[in-house]
Amino acid sequence: MLEVKGLSVQYGKHRAVDDAALSVATSEIVVILGANGAGKSSLLKAVAGLQPPGTGARVALDDRELVGLQPHQIVEAGLALVPEGRGIFGELTVRENLLLGAFARRARADEANNRHRVLALFPRLAERLDQTARTMSGGEQQMVAIGRALMSAPKMLLLDEPSLGLSPLLSSELFRALGRIRQDGIGVLLVEQNARKSLAIADRGYLIENGRIVGAGRAAELASDPAVQRAYLGGAR
Amino acid sequence: MLFEVTLSGVTLGGMYALVAMGLTLQYGVARIMNLSYGELLIAAAFAALWFYSGLAINPLIGLVVVPPIAFALSYAIYRILVQPLVSRAKTRDALEVDSILATFGLLFVIQGVMLALFGGAYFSYSFLAVPLKIAGATVAANRLLALLLAVAIGLGLYLGLTRTRIGTAVRAVAVDPVAAQLVAIDVRTASALAFALGGALVAAAGVLVSMFLTFNANLGVVFTLKALVVVIMGGVGNLLGALIAGLILGLVENYVAVFVDPGLTLAATYAIFLLVLLVRPQGILGRSSR
Repeated sequence: MLEVKGLSVQYGKHRAVDDAALSVATSEIVVILGANGAGKSSLLKAVAGLQPPGTGARVALDDRELVGLQPHQIVEAGLALVPEGRGIFGELTVRENLLLGAFARRARADEANNRHRVLALFPRLAERLDQTARTMSGGEQQMVAIGRALMSAPKMLLLDEPSLGLSPLLSSELFRALGRIRQDGIGVLLVEQNARKSLAIADRGYLIENGRIVGAGRAAELASDPAVQRAYLGGAR
Repeated sequence: MLFEVTLSGVTLGGMYALVAMGLTLQYGVARIMNLSYGELLIAAAFAALWFYSGLAINPLIGLVVVPPIAFALSYAIYRILVQPLVSRAKTRDALEVDSILATFGLLFVIQGVMLALFGGAYFSYSFLAVPLKIAGATVAANRLLALLLAVAIGLGLYLGLTRTRIGTAVRAVAVDPVAAQLVAIDVRTASALAFALGGALVAAAGVLVSMFLTFNANLGVVFTLKALVVVIMGGVGNLLGALIAGLILGLVENYVAVFVDPGLTLAATYAIFLLVLLVRPQGILGRSSR
């Protein structure tokens, strides 16, 4: 269970995230919807320790406080982020990327099993283990990024716009994969532009506007809410 | 004649490659442009000299003892001198300027200590200075041994960095330090270790060089510059590139010295350097994106 309270991100005078609170349970997919620049990426980065989360913020993973930990310690605690732009090691091979995914001490004991699961989830990676990641297609690189994050044996997986730049077919495949990750008991928090597909797979959702969380609800309710449809689903149909 | 010159060029090139591999670890992974780098090579050469002439300790034992000391020393330099710069630097460019200035100062400190201890005179010692005949060519046994050891160390480093998880992690820090944090790599510690490993490598090269070259306390900067040229020629952070560029440089220097004019070796060095920069500014094996 991931619990975030009172989280703010400040860049100079600009407040990108203002007093955000949210929670994600294990085996749950939660999506954060919002326009470009609404503060979605900053929120994820702050949870993962890449941005200071402001004074008084609380980020707890299974009651363990994450605020104040270094990013590498947060991975060690069981929270993995797939950042915007994927953040894979382009110069290294798929095999090396997955090997590094299991760099965390928590990941070592179950490494062989996790690797097996990742390759079953993305069979295409199994065929391309020795390919340099940079030379792969956008969709394949996203698989490497998610596979690498799963190799760290996370309890909670954070994804920043995973479907960005993918074809409709590939993004459907991606969302199906997220469903299978949920079945393995991992909590998934994702930030998405693709509201329709992400709400279809998610359990719950949050709406973020100008850095503030302005709405929350069951995914099905959000998908049928006229205001949400107007703002994020390209008008009511 | 040609074979002899080639062999001697490969030996020199092997030293350059080893020195450059260490610098590429410090610059490519730890992101520290260390101008005092060559001073550590000369310090190690002096240590080997002192071991051999003063204590009658074989340089091969020096090769086992000196690099670990250099590793510890470099680690301390990183933690005490460099880490505060890393912590306060707002951008990578700012860190680069700061580290250049700080290590430029360190250069004079180390050089000054060596000048105070040994003066400006040239030193050498005679270890395995026996001629060997290989395929009709004559080569000094100490040069050949130095080359073989350089190859062994370079190969060991390459395998360590490509075949182990910790080595792969070090390379990952060079590729993307932010993403490295996201796979639980402690980037600060990895940087300190890479910096220290670079120091150990240049110290090993110093012991090897002392077996067959004459050196003095002022020579460090020459090796720093050569290493820089080789690293940039090969592509920053690229070990294989450093190897290739080091060998090219050693060969060309030797050919020019023997067949053209010994006074033109430095000119030849910078001529190839310029050529590579003009044709492939990212280095022989470097990526244009970085």
